[in-house]
Amino acid sequence: MSEYAVRITRLNYTYPDGCKALDGIDLDVRIGERVGIVGPSGAGKSTLLLHLNGVLMGTGLVRIMGLTLEQKNLQQIRRQVGLVFQDPNDQLFCPTVYEDISFGPMNLGIPAQEIPSRVGKSLLDAGLDQSMGSRTSHHLSLGERKRVALASVLAMDPAILAMDEPMSNLDPRNRRHLIELIAGLPATLILATHEMELVVALCQRTVVMDRGKIWADGSTPDLLGNAELMNSHGLEVPLSLKKN
Amino acid sequence: MRHSFIDRFANLDSPLHALDARTKLLGFAALIVAILLIPQGRDFIFFSYFFFIAIFAGISQIPLGFIVRRALTILPFIILATLAAPWRGIAGLSTLFLRAILCLIVVIVLTNTTRFVELLRGLRGLGCPQVLASNLGFLYRYLFVLTEEFMQMRQARDCRRVGRAPFRKELAIMGSMLGTLLVRSFEHAERMYKAMLSRGYAGEFPVANPHRFSWPDLVFLLAITLFVWTTFFGFPLPRI
Repeated sequence: MSEYAVRITRLNYTYPDGCKALDGIDLDVRIGERVGIVGPSGAGKSTLLLHLNGVLMGTGLVRIMGLTLEQKNLQQIRRQVGLVFQDPNDQLFCPTVYEDISFGPMNLGIPAQEIPSRVGKSLLDAGLDQSMGSRTSHHLSLGERKRVALASVLAMDPAILAMDEPMSNLDPRNRRHLIELIAGLPATLILATHEMELVVALCQRTVVMDRGKIWADGSTPDLLGNAELMNSHGLEVPLSLKKN
Repeated sequence: MRHSFIDRFANLDSPLHALDARTKLLGFAALIVAILLIPQGRDFIFFSYFFFIAIFAGISQIPLGFIVRRALTILPFIILATLAAPWRGIAGLSTLFLRAILCLIVVIVLTNTTRFVELLRGLRGLGCPQVLASNLGFLYRYLFVLTEEFMQMRQARDCRRVGRAPFRKELAIMGSMLGTLLVRSFEHAERMYKAMLSRGYAGEFPVANPHRFSWPDLVFLLAITLFVWTTFFGFPLPRI
């Protein structure tokens, strides 16, 4: 068993319109590690996350929990990596919350009798009421939809949780709840965001991305407290790390 | 946003809901074919079919008001189709109308007693190619995406306009809205598809509790076969 959850070597990806989104990415994430990927909009953070479970496949080597990312391993890899999208509306497409949450486990071939308990546990883990299952995803508040989107991924019991801008458009109370929730999850965490305080709260390690490249990789306080580095990539030192 | 699902009452708990999707597809398809084959002027047979289907509608527990409203929504199209064949005369037109409305009620009962994903699974079980079944599934899902995008755009337009513009200007606005809608919904659908892939989607929608063929399915199919046979060939009594 590999000690690395993710091993990426010389990963390149160019969108069909010619835009080079990833340029020679090298990244290793150990099992149980919590890594924040920060960078300005268009840095390639979301594109990188989409490579973690093979939604996109660039050139280079991607290994997830010891498995090489290739067609024959896709199902096993998707079982390992739970990807939470930035906009929950993209993630929730079934008529009811229950069906949305059970979609992943059923695709993975989990026995039918196990599905209700998985859905119930995921709702609980995401801080949602059991009665939520029968509701229509599109009728929920944004905070609730974010939690349902997270529950839909937790139901797959992933070893790696990759989240894309999990706090965008959330009010302070919902942000606090979601941070507490994510902090309590046991999975390896990869968090793509440009919200520095979130990274300070959740991640020991930070990777700075810009224009498809990794520019810095180190401990969160060291990197995010470096004003020069932050400014050169269109980012700001979080208030909690600013030196008076 | 409020959506109206075609399988809105598919979560009810009636004997018809409990049947296997393949059984319902076969049975109701047979009924539709039989309705289309009823000769003109045989009003009694039409009424017998109406009562037979009404029994299924009653068993299904789908609210009568819903069936009537759904049937009325499509009524203008039926009338248009009926009027498009004036050479058939009054008798021909009434036959055409009766056939259309009966078939429509059968479809309403079928789609509201079977969840759409189960219907697709049933079609697959009956030999429908996966590509066709998957495309039907996507069409159903993305209809909501399209509706929602359009409603949001209409809200945005209404927030920024005072009074009505001249007709040609309105037409131009609607044209650009539809163009934007196409691009936006395409991008949204792409993102949704990625989300589906990332949760293990491999071309087929999973069903929570797929039904199995059992004796109620057999009773249902026998009842329909017997009824259709009787209406066309008389009651099958053994000759002595």
